[in-house]
Amino acid sequence: MQLSKKNKGRVGATLCLITANLFTVTGLHAQDITDSTNNPSAQDSAESLNVYDQPASTPGTTTIDSAVLFYKEDGGRIQAIEPMVSLTHNTENDSVFSAKLTFDSLTGATPNGAAPWKSSQIFTSPTRQANGDDENEGSTGASGGTIVIDPITGQRTLEYTADAFMLPLDSGFVDQRTALDLGFTTPLTSGTKLSLGLNGSHERDYNSFSGRASIAQDFNNKTTTLSLGVNYEHDVSKPFFGTPTPFSVMSGDQKGPSQNKNVLSLIAGVTQVMTRNWLLQFNYSYGSVTGYQTDPYKILSVVDPTTGAPQTYLYESRPEKRTRHAFYAGSKLALGSYVTDLSARYYHDSWGINSITANMSEHIPIGDLMYIEPGVRYYHQSAADFFTYYLPSNVALPLYASADSRLDSFNAITLSLSGGYMINDQIELYAMVDAYRQSKAGQKDTLPGNNQDLKLYAGTNALSMMTGVKVKF
Amino acid sequence: MTFFLPVMAGPKGFIKPMHKKRKPVSHLFMAMNSPCDIQVDGDDVHLARELGALAEAEAHRIEAKYSRYQENSQLSQVNRSNGTPVEVDTEMMALLTYANSCYELSDGLFDITSGVLRRIWRFDGSDKLPAEAEIEALMPLIGWDKVTLGKNVVTLKPGMEIDFGGLGKEYAVDRVLMLLAEKTDSPILVNFGGDLRVSGPRRDGSPWRIAIESVEPDDPSAATLGIKSGAITTSGDARRFLLKGGVRYSHILNPRTGRPVIGAPRSITVAARTCMEAGIISTLAMAKGPDAERFLRDEEMAAWVLR
Repeated sequence: MQLSKKNKGRVGATLCLITANLFTVTGLHAQDITDSTNNPSAQDSAESLNVYDQPASTPGTTTIDSAVLFYKEDGGRIQAIEPMVSLTHNTENDSVFSAKLTFDSLTGATPNGAAPWKSSQIFTSPTRQANGDDENEGSTGASGGTIVIDPITGQRTLEYTADAFMLPLDSGFVDQRTALDLGFTTPLTSGTKLSLGLNGSHERDYNSFSGRASIAQDFNNKTTTLSLGVNYEHDVSKPFFGTPTPFSVMSGDQKGPSQNKNVLSLIAGVTQVMTRNWLLQFNYSYGSVTGYQTDPYKILSVVDPTTGAPQTYLYESRPEKRTRHAFYAGSKLALGSYVTDLSARYYHDSWGINSITANMSEHIPIGDLMYIEPGVRYYHQSAADFFTYYLPSNVALPLYASADSRLDSFNAITLSLSGGYMINDQIELYAMVDAYRQSKAGQKDTLPGNNQDLKLYAGTNALSMMTGVKVKF
Repeated sequence: MTFFLPVMAGPKGFIKPMHKKRKPVSHLFMAMNSPCDIQVDGDDVHLARELGALAEAEAHRIEAKYSRYQENSQLSQVNRSNGTPVEVDTEMMALLTYANSCYELSDGLFDITSGVLRRIWRFDGSDKLPAEAEIEALMPLIGWDKVTLGKNVVTLKPGMEIDFGGLGKEYAVDRVLMLLAEKTDSPILVNFGGDLRVSGPRRDGSPWRIAIESVEPDDPSAATLGIKSGAITTSGDARRFLLKGGVRYSHILNPRTGRPVIGAPRSITVAARTCMEAGIISTLAMAKGPDAERFLRDEEMAAWVLR
């Protein structure tokens, strides 16, 4: 043992010297050896590869990806099943065509914005039949509501009840969404890349259309990439009962016409290759939203200022303008087949929401054909300026108010695990599961009066799972 | 609702490849009885062709000078010298000096005078072993210590021959790579029949992917090595052996005994900074027979041994 230790690397070290000498003598400088093999450590100079080290796209190939996502919120809230299929074609001259079709089916209950109370609360909303809409879907007790017919006018309304002490949920939530996205990326000149895209989605009560364009330019021997992008989106909100007038009293009456929203987004980014194993990315995005941004299904409780008892329910009201700014920084560090991803994002908008997101994930190769990627994400946001759990009846109405839990202040943690397995050169199976847990950030508000046991915070926990298969040919 | 600029947006917006992969431009030719491949990872096809032609010319120059099969080669003049001193040029002298160092370093296991043994050992998968007398008759012609090196002069004993088989191709790979690297900054791969070297990682920082049959023969999908710098060579050939009385005689010959190495792995693949270093190490490891793995471990080499 002593002997072999003493001799360790003896042959290799001597060889190294005499080889360098050989090439000096024969007219090529020894320096070339070290220059052209910039890291002589054996581990670095050759390593067994995990198949996931390969780039995702290879010229002249077409990839079909199909997956299905299951999403389930705790407490019998929203459930969704989302199958999707996409097709990506990489041409020989480095252009990429992509098309993705997604179908969502959502059912379940969602908080309607009203505060809980010590006795049961009845909420009245229009029925679908009043609009001559689909007979089967808004009418049955399956959604938890009851059709009430006014014996005099014959008007049909939907009533649903929230149990005492429970957060009121609108349980008639059924929707399907179909979305199509088309993308095209092509190199313009060496180092310049243009991307164009179109997206459209259709729901029974919501249509969205958007177009995007971006340009990316490589600099410094492709170590720096600057990109600029623009996206324009036009949305139409058209609930079957129309769009309610802000702060009008919740009722079974038909409401106003459909409403539009336009979103203009600009993004500027820089990607910098720091070393051959390390990549940094920064971007800034600006968004300007104008038009109807109110949620037509959300209401607020108007409560007695001393007892907290609900007196009436008003439809919510949100500003018609929203300006958003987001800064993003990310780092990607590769050590062999291991890739560590770290990123942070700061967001601010004119509604007063500030948020930070911190994300970390680690890509871990397993054997030659598999990987797993555990990840954790932390998110914190402050509440919108006009967010409130209720409106006291003795105070004049503000300009805007919403009790939508998505505008509340909260923290969220997402734990995720994804993984993939290459069955062969062409077929990959992959799966993802993530658990999302939300909690109120900051002080927990209560209703006026002695109502500490009524929980106003409506945040949710959710679990999603996805599984898919990619076929490349 | 909106898929917004997926390339850039959002915390999950990172895509894995930094740059999309282009196929390197490949230049193929035959030299030294091997398929040769020069790959240039760059957009300039003209430059790639130029480099390919340069590589081909250099490979043929080395072959024409150091082949023992070509009658007019400088080596053939040495091998025909029959005991008289032969004047050689600086390059040949450097290679002979290198071989001398390897001989000393390996205690005689690496010996470029052992090629004559191939006259009697034919590894064709058969059971035809040479006779004892045949081996004994050749042994006086083997042994680098019988060679005299002077200043630009080499003297062999009558009947001795030099064979650059274990050195020439590796030397050519290193030379060609270094020549090309002087002409371009584009990443280059030089592969002469499986002995190969790269100038550095590919343009996008990724490794060159090389199929190596001998690394995992039972699992073709795992038979790929990634190499970002340095060289890889393979010694041994699973198809070249003799089989007699249940003993498998590998085609690796021990110059000291004139017989095949017993207990040698079927193949050894070694990664090192240069092709010459990798080649010598893999040859020496082979010659160590059953101790091949221990030798490689002690030398702290990245290696794949197939038994």
